[in-house]
Amino acid sequence: MWMVSTFAGGFIFAFMLRLLFGKYVEEWGSIGGWMAAGMIVGTAWTLTHGVGFIYQTGGAWVDQAFAGFAGLFLASAAVDGGCVKKGCINIIMALIGGILGGFILYTLTLH
Amino acid sequence: MKHVGTILGSAIAGIFVMSVWGAFSGAYGIAGGWFAGLIIIGSMWYLNHYLGIHNNDGAFVDMALGIGVAGFTRDMFTNGIQVGLDSLPTLAVVLVGGACGGIAAALIQKSMKRSVSK
Repeated sequence: MWMVSTFAGGFIFAFMLRLLFGKYVEEWGSIGGWMAAGMIVGTAWTLTHGVGFIYQTGGAWVDQAFAGFAGLFLASAAVDGGCVKKGCINIIMALIGGILGGFILYTLTLH
Repeated sequence: MKHVGTILGSAIAGIFVMSVWGAFSGAYGIAGGWFAGLIIIGSMWYLNHYLGIHNNDGAFVDMALGIGVAGFTRDMFTNGIQVGLDSLPTLAVVLVGGACGGIAAALIQKSMKRSVSK
């Protein structure tokens, strides 16, 4: 049953992100980005991680961020017609960056 | 160089989210968590997507990917591959939920545009 709230948490975050973030920026420029960060990402966090909609089955943290990425990428590729090949190259670079960040964070535990 | 921007932007965002955010929520509870969203995502979004050091010349790749991977791999570096394998069920459901949410939103956007132009 943990899958239901986990699915819902991921769904709601990606749904809000896709519908609202761009609109905030369109309406208010870069300040809109800050507002969206709080109103959308912060608020979604209170649901997914604060209240705990996303159930963690293991010790490796699964952030709501994964849902955000999946929703925005697929919407861009499947509905907006974004180039998947170029997108995949950017995905690989983002993965490298993520692993680099993860490694640096790991070294904190060695202090 | 544009790919270096993506790598650095993702790494920096992941580092902030996966350490400072927890510190805020640890100290100030759920309100701290919300506030962390505002200041961390606000500044990281500005860097990666508004200024644009995170390359995006194709289907949209949000800094969120690097952020998620940073957290996931940090725990694997620290505690071994097994914790990653144990978390795969959550990861799968979160990705599928997110995918459905994003597509649903995009389809609703399309239908809203259609009804405006009628």
